[in-house]
Amino acid sequence: MKILIVEDEQGLREVIRESLEKEKYLVETAHDYISGIDKIGSYDYDCVLIDIMLPNGSGLDLVRELKNLNKKEAVIIISAKDSVDDKVTGLDLGADDYLAKPFHLAELHARIKSAIRRKSHDGDSFITLGNIKLSPELRTVTVDNNYLTLNRKEFDLLYYFMINPNRLVNKTALAESVWGDYIDQADNLDFVYSQIKNLRKKLKDAAAEADIQAVYGMGYKITAP
Amino acid sequence: MNTTNTSSNKKSSSLQNYTLRYLIVALLVVVAVWAGLFYAVILDEVYDNIDDGLKNSKILIEREAYANPDVLNTPEFGINQFKITPLPKGSYDFSNKLISTFEFSEYDDEDQPIRILETVFNDAKGNPYKLTIRASMVEEDELLEDLLTALVSLYVMLVVSIALLNRFILRKVWKSFYQLLDKLKNYKLGTGKAFTAPESHVSEFEVLGHELEDLLHRSEAIYSSQKQFIENASHELQTPLAISLNKLELFAENSNLPNEQMMEIGKISDTLNRLVRLNKSLLLLSKIENRQYADEEPVNFNELITQLTDDFSDLAEFREIKIDVVQQGKLSFPMNKGLALTLVTNLLKNALVHNHAGGMVTITIIHNSLSVQNTGSNKPLDDEQVFDRFYRSSNNEQSTGLGLSIVWSIANSYKLAVKYSYTGIHTFTIQFPDKR
Repeated sequence: MKILIVEDEQGLREVIRESLEKEKYLVETAHDYISGIDKIGSYDYDCVLIDIMLPNGSGLDLVRELKNLNKKEAVIIISAKDSVDDKVTGLDLGADDYLAKPFHLAELHARIKSAIRRKSHDGDSFITLGNIKLSPELRTVTVDNNYLTLNRKEFDLLYYFMINPNRLVNKTALAESVWGDYIDQADNLDFVYSQIKNLRKKLKDAAAEADIQAVYGMGYKITAP
Repeated sequence: MNTTNTSSNKKSSSLQNYTLRYLIVALLVVVAVWAGLFYAVILDEVYDNIDDGLKNSKILIEREAYANPDVLNTPEFGINQFKITPLPKGSYDFSNKLISTFEFSEYDDEDQPIRILETVFNDAKGNPYKLTIRASMVEEDELLEDLLTALVSLYVMLVVSIALLNRFILRKVWKSFYQLLDKLKNYKLGTGKAFTAPESHVSEFEVLGHELEDLLHRSEAIYSSQKQFIENASHELQTPLAISLNKLELFAENSNLPNEQMMEIGKISDTLNRLVRLNKSLLLLSKIENRQYADEEPVNFNELITQLTDDFSDLAEFREIKIDVVQQGKLSFPMNKGLALTLVTNLLKNALVHNHAGGMVTITIIHNSLSVQNTGSNKPLDDEQVFDRFYRSSNNEQSTGLGLSIVWSIANSYKLAVKYSYTGIHTFTIQFPDKR
């Protein structure tokens, strides 16, 4: 899987590249509009991350260019300017998602994966980890082909973990993704913890081969043998 | 937020009535003084006239008496307006004495004012006689009366015409001033509508208008640059925040640190997340104030609240707080959906966070109002400050202190009233217009 990052901030470009490379993606980067246009015109990618405010051009024009070239890349706009207009324009131009800075890396992975999955209609829409199989469309989970009953939040939690296997998931990212932005108070770590405890118990009872572990102070990690 | 208006308490009258009141008093004094002087001068002139006539008569009578001693035999006023009385010999004062007095008039059947001249003269033989000449002042008196009437009517005429002129001229002269006032009353800073002063033919008003234009233009520029600054600063902070947060996440993932150090990194990450939230809230506030949420649709608050209480149910359950929704009516209002969501979310979050285990939250929806009540601290909050930015009633570090000012800001941008009251429980009420 090849991903292009068009982002002018070197620090952010590097950290995204490093994180995505850990996910075994092939990552290329562009630092401005012109180098972005060059890469888009010359190569094919599975997903392109585009910052809106770029030196010598707008990221929105890159999105427009991609569509003009009839490219099939999944496009995710990343912007510091969390403006409704930009979001609407970007999505209208054919971008698949819009992510406002700052974001958690786990959230970025989740968005990339679901964007790529939506683009490639090649059958297998299941996410598997060990003996767990999860269908985002049907919202079902099976462990060794036995259905596992989860409530809505538990499903969302598991989905988020499975899309970030063996990666550290920040507890704030988790809470925001599952419960929405408004869960942002101090006690939500305990709150999230109690929900994860239930999920772990259900996975364990179903003899799942994956386990959710707490990473001290930071969050959680799902690991499969 | 504070809408103090002290000037309206004091009773003031309009420019027109104010000037008119002073003009009438001033005119009354001026006309009265002038009338008094005029009256005195005329009176003096009238007496002078009569006296001259009397003195002339005296010379004529004396001359006649000299030539014709028969005239001396006029002891009573007859048809003549004089009488002559013989005096014993002696030395007399020959000067003229002029007296004003009254005499009964048969014609008018009442006393009439007369003027009398008394003098002494010697006839041809040197015998002294007292001569008394009289003249009626009836006509002159009437003249003075007429004069007074004329003066009074002049005063009334003056006042009436000045009042009318005043009214007409003032209206014309101050017209542009009143237009300016009207425009100023309807002007509000930060609405994006520039202030334009009306044209005026009076140079002072023209200058006033221009100065006001300049002043408000500058205020507007400062206001918007201040808003822009907050927005830009928040934007500019996003990228460095993203880099720090993501680098820290990667670092925590890549390194095999002992738990204690991991805890510390976790705390840094929490602090960064708090900064991110704070920044987002500030950005949201300036966006609301910059009116960047233009698209509106009818928002069904009953549905919205049902959905949100469901979203919050996990958190409420965890904190052992009971959420009750009382739907006494259907509440629908056209506004930005995202802002409506933010509004209710912040109210709910506030009610849950500043609460205690075993407490409760009651949301009441009426056709024109939405209120959120919660148990919590036993002290009422400072209702002057509760919606202020960074106001915190408790020492909850994780609270940004911006939630309720976001509520206030959203409500304010739709001209909705937000009220806080405390009756053992804390109540926040948003009042919607009665009908649309």
